[in-house]
Amino acid sequence: MNSILWIELVVGIIVSFTLLGIFIWGAKQGQFDDSKKMMNGLLNDSTEDLQAAFKKDEKVKELKANKKEKLKNS
Amino acid sequence: MSKIVPCAHCHLEFEESIMIKEADNTELNFCCNGCQGVYHLLKDDGLDSFYDKLGNNKLSKPLAVGNDSSNFDMDSFNTRYIKKTEEGFSRVDLIIEGIHCAACIWLNEKVLNETPGIVDININFTNNKAKIVWDEDIIKLSQIIDKIRSIGYNAYPYNKTDSEIKATKNKKDFFLRMSIAIFASMNIMMIDVAKYTGYFTGIDSEMLRIIHMAEFIFASPVLFYSGWIFFRGAYFGLKNSIINMDFLVSAGATLTYIYSIYVLFGGAGDSYFDSVAMIITFVLVGKYLEVLGKKSAVDTMDKIKSQIPLEATIIVEDGKKVVSLDEISIDDIIEVKMGEKASVDGVVVSGYSSFDESSISGESLPVEKEVGDIILSGTINTESVIRYKATKNYANSTLNHIVELLEDSLNSKPKIEDTTQSMSKYFSIMILSLAIGTFTGWFFYDGSFENSLIIGISVIIIACPCALALATPIASLIGISWLTKEGLLFKEAKFIETFANIDAVVFDKTGTLTTGKLSVKNKPLSLSKEELNLLYSLTDSSTHPVSFAVKQYLEKSYSNLKHLELENIEQIPAFGLQATYKDYIVYGGRLENNKEYKTTIYHFTINNKLLATFELEDKLRDDAKETIEYFKKQNIKTILCSGDNETTVSTIAKKIGVDHFNSQMTPVNKADYIKSLRDSGQKVVMVGDGVNDSLALSRADISIAMGNGADIAIAISDIVILNDQLLGITKSHYISKRTFRFIKQNLMISLIYNIVTIPIAMAGFIIPLVAALSMSLSSLLVVGNSLRINNKK
Repeated sequence: MNSILWIELVVGIIVSFTLLGIFIWGAKQGQFDDSKKMMNGLLNDSTEDLQAAFKKDEKVKELKANKKEKLKNS
Repeated sequence: MSKIVPCAHCHLEFEESIMIKEADNTELNFCCNGCQGVYHLLKDDGLDSFYDKLGNNKLSKPLAVGNDSSNFDMDSFNTRYIKKTEEGFSRVDLIIEGIHCAACIWLNEKVLNETPGIVDININFTNNKAKIVWDEDIIKLSQIIDKIRSIGYNAYPYNKTDSEIKATKNKKDFFLRMSIAIFASMNIMMIDVAKYTGYFTGIDSEMLRIIHMAEFIFASPVLFYSGWIFFRGAYFGLKNSIINMDFLVSAGATLTYIYSIYVLFGGAGDSYFDSVAMIITFVLVGKYLEVLGKKSAVDTMDKIKSQIPLEATIIVEDGKKVVSLDEISIDDIIEVKMGEKASVDGVVVSGYSSFDESSISGESLPVEKEVGDIILSGTINTESVIRYKATKNYANSTLNHIVELLEDSLNSKPKIEDTTQSMSKYFSIMILSLAIGTFTGWFFYDGSFENSLIIGISVIIIACPCALALATPIASLIGISWLTKEGLLFKEAKFIETFANIDAVVFDKTGTLTTGKLSVKNKPLSLSKEELNLLYSLTDSSTHPVSFAVKQYLEKSYSNLKHLELENIEQIPAFGLQATYKDYIVYGGRLENNKEYKTTIYHFTINNKLLATFELEDKLRDDAKETIEYFKKQNIKTILCSGDNETTVSTIAKKIGVDHFNSQMTPVNKADYIKSLRDSGQKVVMVGDGVNDSLALSRADISIAMGNGADIAIAISDIVILNDQLLGITKSHYISKRTFRFIKQNLMISLIYNIVTIPIAMAGFIIPLVAALSMSLSSLLVVGNSLRINNKK
């Protein structure tokens, strides 16, 4: 009985500290810097916004590649 | 009266008769052309989902910006604000004006993200600061600014200062420490709820050890990571020979932790890892709120600095030259166009115009300026081009002087000592002495070092300031939620205590005790229907406050007013507005240029025949007298401070019965007066609404801004009266006083509990039941007592 409890304790702590680690990573990335925006994002973000974010990433990649080439040529 | 309908864009509500209708869709109502323009722009660009996200939120009308955005492309701007990223893109930090809700952020980000050449845009909702990265080869910054303006917002640049970087880093650090403490405490409390409710009674000791081990694992990061700031605070306190709250928290938590480890590894008794985590978490949440306050002071300062003009146009031999403010010398001739801000102080040398001096004097009406008149930096030209000679350089000008003073005040705003903090000093010393005394007494009596140490530590554990730490925050929380429901926004809970103990209230006049808006005082001669429509159309063609007041009067007094198509509308500087309609020459404004008028007059003529004369005044608020009477009954001194002349101020002072009044005060005079009151030992509240009150607001113990006041005044103030009613101030004072009474009761409860339980601990009778009772019951009593605060509404 006690050995099961010990295993549960270890697994529970590993899981919870892993989740905490993910949270700390998010916080260090600045994902929680703007508390109001974060809370509203939870309420309002839609598939349309996800598509827009994907498009934006593509656009930024292209801009960066173009810029790199331009700097290289100059 | 026609029915009230919302504007399709901003959702502000107006009478249907004055709304702009669409020819093909009469369902749509717009309050102004700006709203109509933005609405169609969003529809055409497929961004109409903005209105779904906006919901029932209201926006302000789209900002009409007269300034040309080309100054964003100037070299001086570039050097000052634009940075290059590693990839070779340009980056600027801006403050976006006009943001109200998440939908506004979404719209700005969406529009800019879809603009070619923009690499990154991130707007912070909390402080409206934006970071924009773009490719200079594809788009210019001025085009980005125009894009923002086209959807009804505006942007100002600001420089990220070291203090902002430091404040942001500090906030992030505290947020992480607090999050970890909350996470661990929640896990510990899940176990402890079962423990305290008796579910572990009779449990096998090995199983109990496993539970204690889990608590130990969660409590350790709370004490050593989250609680590190308390150790640091205690160290610096001791270095300066001060025993502070940090010392009590860190000493109490560490000793409890050590004692609990002793229990975990075989010692007798119960572990208190829960207390370690809870004490650190509670106090850390309070500290985090303080850090947020400091960060918002930095953001406020950036907002103020972004209002400073970037450069000025000076007249040189071969024409005009745009220079940065530091390059302006005394005697330089400066040109200010309509909509521009004067950058330095000076004297008019040519031209005639009127200036909005509300940021300096609080006066809501534009002040006319002709040759020889003084121009103050920071005031806005509202009419036509004017040239003036600089009498001061930028560093010594009024605007810079006020900004510097404001920065000093915000940085050195006195830290309000709350009762718990001041009590904790004595409490800490007393508990430590008792614990040391108990250990020594028991050691000599019993001879057992281990037993004496456990009893000594138990005194500290039992006295752990759970109830003391809860006494203020829980009562404040209930007080704050009551205040919020009443439309009274307290930015920090600690202001409740200070506001409850004030000695004097200083009121600004314009916009605070008066409405700050002109209204028609007399009932003018009766006009025919056509004359009324002509007058209405004429007043609607001007944005001048006098015209606006007359227009409002007409809308209120007459129904079915019609817009007539006026032609040749022409502004006559310093006089009024003239237009033609069929064979009529219609004129509204003054008939003679007399600056000595005590009241504002508006004449209406058709073909030079005077048809009506309106006398306008800034009305006293209905609840002004009642507010003053309330404070007088409370034996609190009431003072009126205004930039107006003595006759006007004394008339108002007599009408409402204030104890004392001061007239012709500049922003610096007001701030000095507040300081002198505080130096004489009084706790002072300043109530204001304008930019000119900002400095005085920053110097007061408590500053209150009216809800419709200037952004800067609201940003600086500690309390905002959202419903814009003066009686909100009296209500705030009443609730603060009542909440403070309960804070004192709570402190008394926690002290009585300590008085009862500490002797038991000293006598060595500390058993888990007593500890659980003193820790939980005292906290429960404090919470229960606080819930009574809003029983008597």
